[in-house]
Amino acid sequence: MTLDVSPAAAAVAVDHEPLPRSTKDQWICWWSIPVFYVLFGLIFVPLTRVMPPPRPDKSPEQVVAFFHSHALTIKIGFGLLMVVIGWASWANGLVAVQMKRMSVGPVWAYSYVAALAVGAIPGCLFAAFAFLAAVLRPDRSPDLTMLLYDMGLMMFVGSLGCFTTQYLILALAILLDRNEIFPKWFAYVTIWQIVTEFLAAPIFLVKDGPFAWDGSISFYQGTAIFAVYLTCLIALLRRAIEQQSVAPS
Amino acid sequence: MTATAVDSDARTVGAERGRPAHLPGELSMWVFVLGDLAIFGIYFIIFMFSRLQQHDVFLASQRHLSQGLGALNTLLLLTSSRLVARAALAARGGEHERAARLTLGGGACGVVFIAVKALEWSAKIRQGYTLPVNDFFAYYYVLTGVHVLHVVLGLIILGIVVRELRTPSLRRLSIVESGAIFWHLVDLLWIVIFVLLYVMR
Repeated sequence: MTLDVSPAAAAVAVDHEPLPRSTKDQWICWWSIPVFYVLFGLIFVPLTRVMPPPRPDKSPEQVVAFFHSHALTIKIGFGLLMVVIGWASWANGLVAVQMKRMSVGPVWAYSYVAALAVGAIPGCLFAAFAFLAAVLRPDRSPDLTMLLYDMGLMMFVGSLGCFTTQYLILALAILLDRNEIFPKWFAYVTIWQIVTEFLAAPIFLVKDGPFAWDGSISFYQGTAIFAVYLTCLIALLRRAIEQQSVAPS
Repeated sequence: MTATAVDSDARTVGAERGRPAHLPGELSMWVFVLGDLAIFGIYFIIFMFSRLQQHDVFLASQRHLSQGLGALNTLLLLTSSRLVARAALAARGGEHERAARLTLGGGACGVVFIAVKALEWSAKIRQGYTLPVNDFFAYYYVLTGVHVLHVVLGLIILGIVVRELRTPSLRRLSIVESGAIFWHLVDLLWIVIFVLLYVMR
């Protein structure tokens, strides 16, 4: 902070060591991230069975049976998601605060947050409403249930491309930054995310094999690389906040 | 930097005393390149697995690819790699303008590579061999597509290298070397993709 200080304020600053900026607020945000992802995993894996995704080549009768056997947990899980989904904003806000400490302009932080908002709706909420609609009326015709099944899972896996802009913004900001808020290698880990999320595109074309929505490349490898990215992000945010509380602001 | 210090202590043979062993490029670029190799390695393993399961389909589909254009692209990338490597050597010797011209030459080969690829893709699509036809063509478009994405990224990096070489205040040898390392990765990945998709029987 290179603010203009009045002579009186300058004298005070000489008398007392400047207090290190409190980072308690940022630590609250930071702890929300692991809690959010544990809940996220709980909702999407055991409760709603969206991850790992069920097969895209099921018959309409099999899809009806799928919804029938998981109706209760889908209602509980996605009901919970409605409350929890907003928590992602704590994580995004925290990344944005750290991006504003970079030597790049604040526009990068603003566009990062805005780009994430584009992905969250098709990536989580559309899938949730498609599944909730499917289990609301179990006596619906199997063909219509199939439509909701396709829509839910296609939006969940196929929307990954919506996040590429967010990753591009983060990677460029890290590469341009001269304050070393995040290490440069993390920009490259972020670029892998862009590459793997492109590979979700073939799910719109095939119903079987490694490029289907439950495929080894389209889903599993992308998810594994996302887990690496997320672990790095959480660890590096922790490091950035620690450095901020040591460095005088 | 502790790693290089230890390195020079341990191996004084062949290196002058006190002169630390030199890692070309930046450490972050090596993280990127090695991680990328691991990611592509997994793609290649999954490809081989599918190929074993559908050997006949893969062999029959492979015959529809243009080996000639694939070989041309291999030559283009090998040439560009040589140009970029010579650029890094020229930059080390202080010949910055020559290094910039060599890098531009390497980049030009990359642009021609993309043009050949676009030609090849449009020919395949016109013949009806699109991504959903079978798993072989899915791999063909995805692997070459992700690779072309890397070529584009490499061209951006080479552009940054040329800009730094031509601006005396920006010049950093580590950036020139990092650019060359990434470009070699692009070349190496293409050679593996060429062998797996076009050549292997």
